[in-house]
Amino acid sequence: MKYAITHTTGYKYSEPASLSQNELFLYPRETAQQQVLQSSLSILPEPQYRHRRIDFFGNTVDVFMVQHPHDELVVKASSVVQTSVQATPERSATAPWEEVANRLASHGQPADFNAFPFLFASPLISVDPQTLSYAGVSFTPGRPVLAAALDLMQRIYNEFSYDKTASTIDTTVEQILQNRKGVCQDFAHLTISCLRSLGLAARYVSGYLETIPTPGKPKLIGSDASHAWVSIFIPDFGWVDFDPTNNLVVGESHITLAWGRDYGDVAPVKGVVMGGGTHRLTVNVDVAAQPA
Amino acid sequence: MAESEISPETSVTSDGNSLFGNAAFSAASYHEAFSAPGQPREHWQHLITMLEERGAAGLRKDNERARHMRQDDGATINPFDDPARRSSAWDLDPVPIIISASEWGTLENGIVQRVQLLEKILADIYGAQQLLRDGQLPVDLVFANPNYLYSCHNIRPSGNCYLPIYSADLYRAADGRFRVLRDSAAYPAGLGYALENRIVTSRIFSELYHRVQTHRLAPFFRAFHNALIQRASLGQEDPDIVLLSPGPESHVYFEHALLSRYLGYTLVESQDLTVRNGKVYLKKLAGLEPVEAIFRYLSDLNSDPFALRRETANGVAGLIQVCRENNIEMINPIGSGFVDTPALSTILPSLCKTLLGQDLLIENHPAWWCGNDEGYQYVLNNLGQLTLSQALQSVIVAEPSENLSARISSAPSQYLGSAPLLPSVAPGWNNHGMSSSYSVLRLFVCATEKGYEVMPGALAISASDVGSLAVNAPELQRSKDVWVLSDGPVEPFSLMEGFHSVDEFKRSSDLPSRVADNLLWLGRYLERTEGLVRLLRLIFQKISGEDRPQHIPELGFLLKLLRLKNIIPTPAKDAPEIPLFLELSNHLNSALYKRDGAESLGSLLGNVQRAARRVRDRLSLDSSRIINHLEYLTDAGSADPLEFLDEILFALSAFSGLASESMTRSLGWRFMDIGRRVERAMQQTNVISTALPLISSKPRNTLETLLEISDSTMTYRARYRSAFQLAPVLDLLLADESNPKSLAFQLSRIAGHIEYLPRRRERRFAYQEERIALKMLTGIRLLELKEIHTRETSNRNEELAEFLRSMAQDLKEFSQQITGHYLTRVPTTPHFAMITDDRKE
Repeated sequence: MKYAITHTTGYKYSEPASLSQNELFLYPRETAQQQVLQSSLSILPEPQYRHRRIDFFGNTVDVFMVQHPHDELVVKASSVVQTSVQATPERSATAPWEEVANRLASHGQPADFNAFPFLFASPLISVDPQTLSYAGVSFTPGRPVLAAALDLMQRIYNEFSYDKTASTIDTTVEQILQNRKGVCQDFAHLTISCLRSLGLAARYVSGYLETIPTPGKPKLIGSDASHAWVSIFIPDFGWVDFDPTNNLVVGESHITLAWGRDYGDVAPVKGVVMGGGTHRLTVNVDVAAQPA
Repeated sequence: MAESEISPETSVTSDGNSLFGNAAFSAASYHEAFSAPGQPREHWQHLITMLEERGAAGLRKDNERARHMRQDDGATINPFDDPARRSSAWDLDPVPIIISASEWGTLENGIVQRVQLLEKILADIYGAQQLLRDGQLPVDLVFANPNYLYSCHNIRPSGNCYLPIYSADLYRAADGRFRVLRDSAAYPAGLGYALENRIVTSRIFSELYHRVQTHRLAPFFRAFHNALIQRASLGQEDPDIVLLSPGPESHVYFEHALLSRYLGYTLVESQDLTVRNGKVYLKKLAGLEPVEAIFRYLSDLNSDPFALRRETANGVAGLIQVCRENNIEMINPIGSGFVDTPALSTILPSLCKTLLGQDLLIENHPAWWCGNDEGYQYVLNNLGQLTLSQALQSVIVAEPSENLSARISSAPSQYLGSAPLLPSVAPGWNNHGMSSSYSVLRLFVCATEKGYEVMPGALAISASDVGSLAVNAPELQRSKDVWVLSDGPVEPFSLMEGFHSVDEFKRSSDLPSRVADNLLWLGRYLERTEGLVRLLRLIFQKISGEDRPQHIPELGFLLKLLRLKNIIPTPAKDAPEIPLFLELSNHLNSALYKRDGAESLGSLLGNVQRAARRVRDRLSLDSSRIINHLEYLTDAGSADPLEFLDEILFALSAFSGLASESMTRSLGWRFMDIGRRVERAMQQTNVISTALPLISSKPRNTLETLLEISDSTMTYRARYRSAFQLAPVLDLLLADESNPKSLAFQLSRIAGHIEYLPRRRERRFAYQEERIALKMLTGIRLLELKEIHTRETSNRNEELAEFLRSMAQDLKEFSQQITGHYLTRVPTTPHFAMITDDRKE
């Protein structure tokens, strides 16, 4: 599929902000299933300082600073990408999960190196006995790793309710497990914590998902949103992306922006302002399918 | 030596006159000073002889001198305190530890090898990660390690120097060989204390110090500084280097202030710095000034709240981005705290072979990391004999419990088991006599153009039992200096020379806004305190006479002044204005000593001390000492209020005298003086406003007291030689610009200072504070006092009251304008765009 995406983030400050510093993870990644045809960034007011780099995980990061007083800041990222369906191994044919965990724990295979940073607890994802015991129901002895992971996904989808008011960026994995509700970011964090507690490598993927309009009604512009899901490492195969919020293996309507250990590594927009009083944030995402 | 002066604890041998005797000679530990009881090692001979000659009485005096010197310098707080606990005093044991030249050579080689190794490891993990790919470095030691900062990957420090400065804790084991206990790289904690200990010890034992060819420490600091200049290609003349401290709340603030003064690096706190255009700037009164290098005393994780996404009061948002662009020289580079990882030492022997092709010259303290099978098995089998700690952070795991092995098995790579610590002992002075104490030495190393250089000396941390040394029990520890002997003559290089000259020059031109703010408040608190002390002293003098309080006519006026400031309670409606003696002295005593009343003397002195501590690096050594002495006076208290007030006043006057005599007429001095003048002007306005309505009923007493409060009685007598009359008294206290206590004098000084403050607009009187200063000065100069009489409630008197009200208002407004213009710091707030997805049904 070909998509045109615009992602607009706006801040309105109650008092002038004298200095604003921001980091953006809004440049889509090139992957086997995704080609970036075009990507541009417009920032108002015009920043005095801009810098682009590739981070530890291979994401493209933009940093900018607005260094004069301003009471509004708008960041608009526009991209065009071509996506295709990811190849996935037959879930029941994957290796037993214990075998995968043992192989990763031995750190013996150079081919697994890229998975190692995703094996351990990270700043926003703890790994503890609670998530281990929750995961245990799906990860029965000898079960093929992908089959067990997708079963875990299904359980989280069924047992947790989607609730925008239930969480903030600081919600911990324990809280999600206890409250049984949250948003995509929370479900991704919980899933990752479960997988890592078993010794498996899992990463946090940030991106978008095309919204399919209700039949008979026109699609609302801007009703799309940032999204987040999970990717699990299957040795000798690679990474398999799946979406616990929607209980599905990622297909061609998912657009990948960036990945890291958790949300903190790849928050699409984060910043710090001097002054500015209180701020009001608006985020608008539009994912439009393009004629091929 | 008088027998009676030796307390019973002193060990005395059978021959009765040795200080050392056979004190605490344990076969288990190596003894630094003696090869056998009564047989000093050769390199200790001079010191032992000197100590014997000094004798217990002499050493007691030496110890007392050392204690005073450190107290005056403010070096008495233990830097290794648990921040959650009350800070504890940290003694210096003046008896140094001596290390021979040949032994030092061995130590030096070993430590240099270790830094080289650690630097290669840092370069790898923050670069190609080949060691990780090859399995030489276990991945969990890096990727699961909170000390490894992903955001610093691929940042290459200038000159590829990952460890400009490094410190290691070593001890000497029973076999006589040194072992490394821990490594530390984020910042060199204790470096300033080592310097201070040397300054004190070399003065206490100056004769011996110069006789035995002890290596000087100063060349180390010079080498560090020169290497920094060279590596970062900084300007030789006036490099913009800052020392970044968490601020006076830090227990080690003394150290930061000392190093800042010694090295000539401006002492700054996080909020003094800002990032613009990918560079770091220091916020000064005149604007932003570029910063070229930062010597930080902040941990890695507190260095950049933006990149590391941590909510911390410390750190500079955007600092890591500046490092990424190589626009700042960081000492040490952010991320170097990885070296502090306790379990890292366990793999150093094998990495040393791989990377340097050598064996590790100085062995580690025996420790086993549960992250590998061998270590895991060993720890589980020997749990009872080992100290268990976190493998990745320096935290000791609490008391052994039954399920300890279960805990280890659930996450083996998180645990490290260490053998018991048994360091060598060395002679030391306790408060009674010579004794032995166990010591760990902290060595410091810096990178230079020619390789690594080890500071020839160390900070020794000692305790009388091993337990207090091994666990975090700072209140039971003392520090010692370490003297490294030289084979040849040592370079005569005074420690005190430092790098002062550059620094003083820089300071006179401009200064950080925060410093100006603190100096302004120091001035205000000093003046407010002095005013209150004079007032209280006057009251105590009056009531200590034979008259009962009710019969002292001016007491009502004086007490009213105290009540207006809420220093003593206002009497109930029907109660007499002057309470009975007992009640009055209760009130006055709590005004003196209570610490919690907002305006009591105790809390005002607390404010003075806090403000002074914040600008410690800006005050001369003597001024700092007076502040420390003031602190001592406050803590000690005194039974006699008058004596207490006199001593306080004496210290405050000494401080003022030093400030006006020895402080350069820099901006800092101006801000402090503005603070004093504003405060004194406010007080004077208030005192006269309060007096005016009382004058008609008790003219003589009130006028006399007015002069007394303002310390102007002598001037009045000399000038007027007449009875007290309202117009001349007011003229002297308000309008006489030649009387340093008058309102006019304060306003004229304020107007003078304003002209020297940095400004962006050329035109004079373009700023509000300039206009207010001019208005106040003109107002007082034009004030007409001739027709004012005591017995009249004329229009003139009413006009004067109105004039004083408006003056009080202007002073307040002036002070707000100064703060608004020069001193305001804007708070920062982080924002994050929350993910707001929709679930697809």
